Amino acid sequence: MSKNFFEINNVTFSIGGKNKVNDVNISIANEGDVICILGPSGIGKTTMLRTIAGLEKINKGEIILKDKVISSSKIHIEPEKRNIALSFQENSLFPHYTVDKNIHLGIKKNSPSNKNINAKEIIKILNIESILNKYPHQISAGEAQRASLARSLIAQPDLLLLDEPLSNVDQSFKEDIQVSLKQLLNKNKISTIVVTHDSYEAFYLGSKCALVLNNEVKQFDDPYNVYHFPNSVEVVNFLNRGILIPAKVTGGDSLENDDLGLIKGNFIKHYPTGSKVQLLLQPEDLEHDDDSNLKLEVVDRKFRGTNFIYTLKTPSNRLIPVAVHTHHWEQHEVNDKFGIKRPIQLEHIVCF
Amino acid sequence: MIRNLNFWFFSSFIISLVVIIPIVTVFSSFFENTSNYFEILKNTFLFEYTFNSFVLLISVLMLTFIIGTSSAYLVSFYKFPLSNFFKWALILSFAVPPYIYAYSLTAFFENYGTAYTILKNLFGEGNYNQHIPKFDGMFGSILSISFSLFGYVYILTRASFLYQSQNFIDLGKNLGFSNFRSFYSIVLPGARPAIVAGLSLVAMETLAEFGAVDFFSINTLTTGIYNSWIAFDDLAFANQLSFFLLLFIFALFVLENLSRKKAKYHFNSRGGFKQKEKIRLTKSKSFLAFGFCFFIFFMSFLFPLCQMFYWTIKFPENLFDLNIFDLFLNTVYLVVLSSFALIVFSLISNYGNRVSNNKVLNLMSTLSISGYAIPGVILAIAFITFVVWIDESMIKNMGLLSIKKIFIGSIFGLVIVYFVRFYSLAFNGIKSGYEKINIYVDESAYLLGYSKRKTFMNIHVPFLRNSLLFVGILVSLEIIRELPIALILRPFNFETFATTAYISASEDLLEAAAVPSLFLILIATIFIMITSKYILRDTNE
Repeated sequence: MSKNFFEINNVTFSIGGKNKVNDVNISIANEGDVICILGPSGIGKTTMLRTIAGLEKINKGEIILKDKVISSSKIHIEPEKRNIALSFQENSLFPHYTVDKNIHLGIKKNSPSNKNINAKEIIKILNIESILNKYPHQISAGEAQRASLARSLIAQPDLLLLDEPLSNVDQSFKEDIQVSLKQLLNKNKISTIVVTHDSYEAFYLGSKCALVLNNEVKQFDDPYNVYHFPNSVEVVNFLNRGILIPAKVTGGDSLENDDLGLIKGNFIKHYPTGSKVQLLLQPEDLEHDDDSNLKLEVVDRKFRGTNFIYTLKTPSNRLIPVAVHTHHWEQHEVNDKFGIKRPIQLEHIVCF
Repeated sequence: MIRNLNFWFFSSFIISLVVIIPIVTVFSSFFENTSNYFEILKNTFLFEYTFNSFVLLISVLMLTFIIGTSSAYLVSFYKFPLSNFFKWALILSFAVPPYIYAYSLTAFFENYGTAYTILKNLFGEGNYNQHIPKFDGMFGSILSISFSLFGYVYILTRASFLYQSQNFIDLGKNLGFSNFRSFYSIVLPGARPAIVAGLSLVAMETLAEFGAVDFFSINTLTTGIYNSWIAFDDLAFANQLSFFLLLFIFALFVLENLSRKKAKYHFNSRGGFKQKEKIRLTKSKSFLAFGFCFFIFFMSFLFPLCQMFYWTIKFPENLFDLNIFDLFLNTVYLVVLSSFALIVFSLISNYGNRVSNNKVLNLMSTLSISGYAIPGVILAIAFITFVVWIDESMIKNMGLLSIKKIFIGSIFGLVIVYFVRFYSLAFNGIKSGYEKINIYVDESAYLLGYSKRKTFMNIHVPFLRNSLLFVGILVSLEIIRELPIALILRPFNFETFATTAYISASEDLLEAAAVPSLFLILIATIFIMITSKYILRDTNE
């Protein structure tokens, strides 16, 4: 008997005879948990969802939902018998029905689910009240995506699969929907797998994230760990939230870089003294100090609302990102000198 | 896509198989020995048959292209007097089969024909015969076939024009294109697949045309096929000729495909689709557009209708000699049975292909739709050959009663051959409707707990309703107009309007052919008028 609500064990996902993602092991521990699959376009994320939904078969491993094997090399439960809903990225509304009829087709008369999902609430949250009487060809792509999402939610599935659910939704509206969606999923205990290439969306919605890179799941962990403790250079490069600089381990809690000098902190992984490593520096690792004698040249400044991300050039021509609160009293321009607080003390030291 | 060998797979497989059998019989005869008729023909008429077929084909294609695309362009993009009327009136040309058009042309322009009578009534007695042009022979055949068949190009091109986004036309304007340049560099290439599809239908119909060319005594490959069977009882050679004919059609497809290279013509307009606004033409231009469309409408429909109507009034005794009610019932009976079978089985077969996504099934479907390219004459003969072969080699050996009577000279046999002949029309028509349903729609239905049967009945059938009606009318029209299959396979004393008209005309009793021809046109016209709103709705207007 499986201890997890949902499990993928050693499954290789393929489509059209071509392997897309190999030897996947991920799980949803408890009913109602949300996990995210994050990765670049074309890597096989959608194939994973289609396979979980039963639209593709597997030749290796097994997929278990509520202690029942739904896919393996020998077993294949048909999609209509799985009680899994998939909200497609593309418009999948029935073209000859109104949005309202489309949504209500999701309601199953004899649903085995004990969830008490209110259709009106979903329609309100997703802000589709005004398009209920329209046909799919009369609405925008974003509206179609929300209608499709509503239909999937109303189906009261055991497992909800969302393929880039908000990719066509306006940015101004996206965050509101993300909040409402998360509340809705939590409140109704709908176990969900969200596929996205937007790391912020994944970090917000998911209690765990699976990073799919180079045909495999590189890391499956909670969002904090994925961000702060990436387990490979590939993950660092994909998240694009820091850089790697060369350093030499000088002790149990220190290392040294030619440009920045001594850096102290807690190593996540032990390295012998004298080891040459690549140190991960993320924008929030270094602190700004106008009075510091360690000055680097500003080569770029990005305004990100709550903070600026300064790109600094070191004497050895490396570019380092540093975040500074936008309310900091002195803003620096390109070519200015920018002080870094010393001694450099990192919360955690991640090296490769 | 789930690959399953299920009920839908097997249904689709069996339907395709039934259609393939007579087609395979045609091809297998290709390798049989022929009589010495081949040697005779090779040294005498083969070049003439081929040359005539080629000239006929090219001329008809050119004429239908010009008439079909220009009329579709005018009614799709411009407002002018009666433009909305012409939009559907031009479809009425379908009501007149080429052989009836040929009778009308002859009746009007022949010596002492209708034209002569009009001139005589207007200007008194005179030697008008030598000044009245004669539209017979090859020229008459080309005109008859073109005015009867341009509707294929018109309907498909017009539908394609309607789906073209206004954005592309706006883009043309933005680039400084004139209306004409926008038409030939943006609108026309965008509609290319539709135009080619229409022209392919015209090509196949032209090469298989029997009634009109036979009436005008033009020797083509099709009449050669018929003669080799009737005169020499040489089925194998008839099949070899039809194989040759198929190569013609195949060559056309290959040429088109090669010229298309990798260009894509379908645009997925996700959102951003802007309905076109029709341009109101200035006075002189609107007069020209009206004149052009009226000329096409008059020539393709009013002219043959009036001619047949005139003769029916002039020779009313023919009206009472015929049992119109029986002819009507027979025609409708055949049409209803055949189109119902075609729609139901083509729909099932399409869905089977869609859910199975099986290579064998795809191949069988491709083979099965080639029946349309085989002339009706050949299919009818191949069907008889096959039934006789089964009867003599298997049924009799098993000591069972002969099955010939069930299939040959029976309504059942007639419906089967119609089914084979027009299967591609129904299959492709429904397929194009299916192509508008995104595969995600099916998958969403499965995920909502719908079985394949429920998805088919509750999602596909309602969505395809207009396509089915559209296919229904096309198939019905084909069956009403169809001549050679009915001539060969009809039960004894079972006549339709088409066979009655042909028999009278072949006995040089053109006046007597007028009554069944008129009724045929009227029934077909009513059919078109009833369903035209669905055709228009189908094209989202």
